[in-house]
Amino acid sequence: MSTAPTTSPARPVVRPADRDGKPSRRRSAGRPGTGTIAAFLAPGLVLFLLFVLAPILFAAYVGFFRWNGLGGPPTDFIGFENFANLVQDKVFLGDLWRVGLLIAGSLVIQLPLAFGLAMLLHQRFPGRTVFRLLFFVPYVLAEAVTGVLFRLIFSERRGFADSLLAAVGIEANVGWLSDRSIVLIVVFGILTWKFFGFYMILYLAGRQNIPDELYEAAAIDGAGSGQMFRRITLPLMGPTLRITVFLSIIGAVQLFDLVFVLTGGGPFHASETMAITMYEQGFQRNQIGYASALSIAMFAISFVFAMFYQRFVLKRDLQGGLTGGGSNGGDR
Amino acid sequence: MSKPLHRLRSLAAAGAAVAMATTAAACGGDSGSNADIVWWHIQNQDPMMSTWSDMADEWAEESELTFDVQAIENEAFKERMGTATQSGETPDIFQTWGGGVLTQQVEAGLVKDLTGELDCIDKINPASLDPYTIDGKLYGMPFDGGVVGFWYNKDLFAEAGIEQPPTTWTEFLDAVQALKDSGVAPIALAGGDKWPGHYYWTYLAMRIAGLDAMASAAEAGDFSDAAFVQAGDMLIELAEMEPFQEGFESAGYGEADGQAAHMGEGLTGMELMGQWAPTVQSDASGTEGLGDALGFFPFPEVEGGAGTITEYLGGGNGFAVGVNAPEEVTDFLCYLAEEENQARGVADGGFTTVAADPEAVVPEMDANTEAIVEALASATATQLYLDQAYPPAIGGVINEATEGVILGQISSEDMIEMINDAWAAEQ
Repeated sequence: MSTAPTTSPARPVVRPADRDGKPSRRRSAGRPGTGTIAAFLAPGLVLFLLFVLAPILFAAYVGFFRWNGLGGPPTDFIGFENFANLVQDKVFLGDLWRVGLLIAGSLVIQLPLAFGLAMLLHQRFPGRTVFRLLFFVPYVLAEAVTGVLFRLIFSERRGFADSLLAAVGIEANVGWLSDRSIVLIVVFGILTWKFFGFYMILYLAGRQNIPDELYEAAAIDGAGSGQMFRRITLPLMGPTLRITVFLSIIGAVQLFDLVFVLTGGGPFHASETMAITMYEQGFQRNQIGYASALSIAMFAISFVFAMFYQRFVLKRDLQGGLTGGGSNGGDR
Repeated sequence: MSKPLHRLRSLAAAGAAVAMATTAAACGGDSGSNADIVWWHIQNQDPMMSTWSDMADEWAEESELTFDVQAIENEAFKERMGTATQSGETPDIFQTWGGGVLTQQVEAGLVKDLTGELDCIDKINPASLDPYTIDGKLYGMPFDGGVVGFWYNKDLFAEAGIEQPPTTWTEFLDAVQALKDSGVAPIALAGGDKWPGHYYWTYLAMRIAGLDAMASAAEAGDFSDAAFVQAGDMLIELAEMEPFQEGFESAGYGEADGQAAHMGEGLTGMELMGQWAPTVQSDASGTEGLGDALGFFPFPEVEGGAGTITEYLGGGNGFAVGVNAPEEVTDFLCYLAEEENQARGVADGGFTTVAADPEAVVPEMDANTEAIVEALASATATQLYLDQAYPPAIGGVINEATEGVILGQISSEDMIEMINDAWAAEQ
């Protein structure tokens, strides 16, 4: 880990060209004035403030009240009580545990599977495009549709899964969605089915960005395929790997639609996620204050994780990666 | 790829989750209609959807007021109603089940007091007004009402050698055992939907503790009485017999593989359900239903309990009136309550009549409807479904805890603790 201070200033490449470059056409057009910048930024900024930042702040505010959402603004201020209840709430703690399991499963099974498939599909063989397309198809389905689909497949009566097992001679009596001990595994399986194609495409794109010359050079130097994988493929796919891990973890924290449609979080919380608990508390039980506190907890988890991850893991990638600036000399 | 975008996106993603909790407050009040009377109902399928519209048109012609009638699906209605009430803009007429949700709306000052406003009130069975009566004032007008009881498959009962529907809990458990021995699942239950399970605990509590004890427990927010723990224990005892269909833990009520479909296809012995059960049995199973083989019996008595077999758990559908609705709305509600129009609701909507004189509305009732109408007529007292009667937070906890008890995940004592905690937080 060479975390030696990279001394390069923020944008070393672009600036000199603009500053002391010859009078280019772009230059003659003049730098856009503040008014122009503001005019172009304003629509996006206003939407962001209004529909992202304002709700977050409002939820944070409501999180300190006992409020059923009816009859005007919240008035019953209870300080940190909602948050104190939250950290003692068995369902919420269970949600955290289940999110942890899903993340672990993603990192150990889902992403490696997608990575392996991407490596396979990078090879030249007949029908390669068809496979790429097929593997990507599940990602195109809406999450809610996927939920409905698998609810039918795993139906207790005449479900496709049971029929399939019966057809190959297994009369197993699996309570796919009704057995508390396996429902989360089933949910994870469906999530993997749904999302591996997405990660596979990302990995495929990352792999295709690696120039063939590197492998040729390595081959001339007598490197075996294992060495090439370890010394070329893995390090150069680092940025893609790191961003997929990030997306996967954030996705697990936010998980809602698919599970909500599939199991509603049941039986008895066995497949519940934080977002489902929030929905149940806020919209079913009219405990908007408590649900807001929960949503703030979710936000904090996502936010803190995103900050740390970007600060420490994605740092190099965000600074311009491999092809952006030659100054980034620390690459192995 | 522009990397900073990801940071923004992660923020936005996190923000979106947060926003979900608050959109309720942000968007709402879409009843910005030009019509004089905005009416939200949940009969979003024909024939009843058209019948409501027809009635609105007929009355609009006489009164020269315009209508904006919106048929909204049940769950979607609850959500839209939630956002509408949070913004303080309710429709002029809207679906209500009475009880805790209506109470919250009344407390928020959104619902018109109908006490003494309805000239036609004597056409309605007084027992069916209970859910809409809050602190002695009437806030809703029922158009459908009934009771929860056991709907059973007479053929399967006969095959299992059960001659008479059980009237006591011991007989009931014997019947469950007999059905099991005959090779059918005794009871259909939608565990995934939670609310069908809460009928069992509620009825047991009604039979053991009695309605007065339940009322005072709800008043005090304290269900610590041993009778309520016992209700849980007896439910556990039933669940331990494994009386429910396979996979009931995730089953829905109205789905093609759910509770009602199991009954409609004649696969299970009985279900504990409200007056709508026969209709849903045939709809969900895609069959004609059980027809004459379907029978009804009230929830059995518990030996030594304070409750009696003529006390029913029940409820129905009604309309409440927004506080800013025009005066004439009450006349319209009375138009809906005319015998002829009630009969249209019974025929097209499958409603169970709430008329004080049911014969005037439905001269020839089928046996199932008659069973419900008679039960309602002979009821010595009724209790609204607890998940409607109590504030939503309490109702939700009762549903959740009952599921936990049935699945053997929590004890009866845990259940009572959960309910008491929820009441304590509500005060």
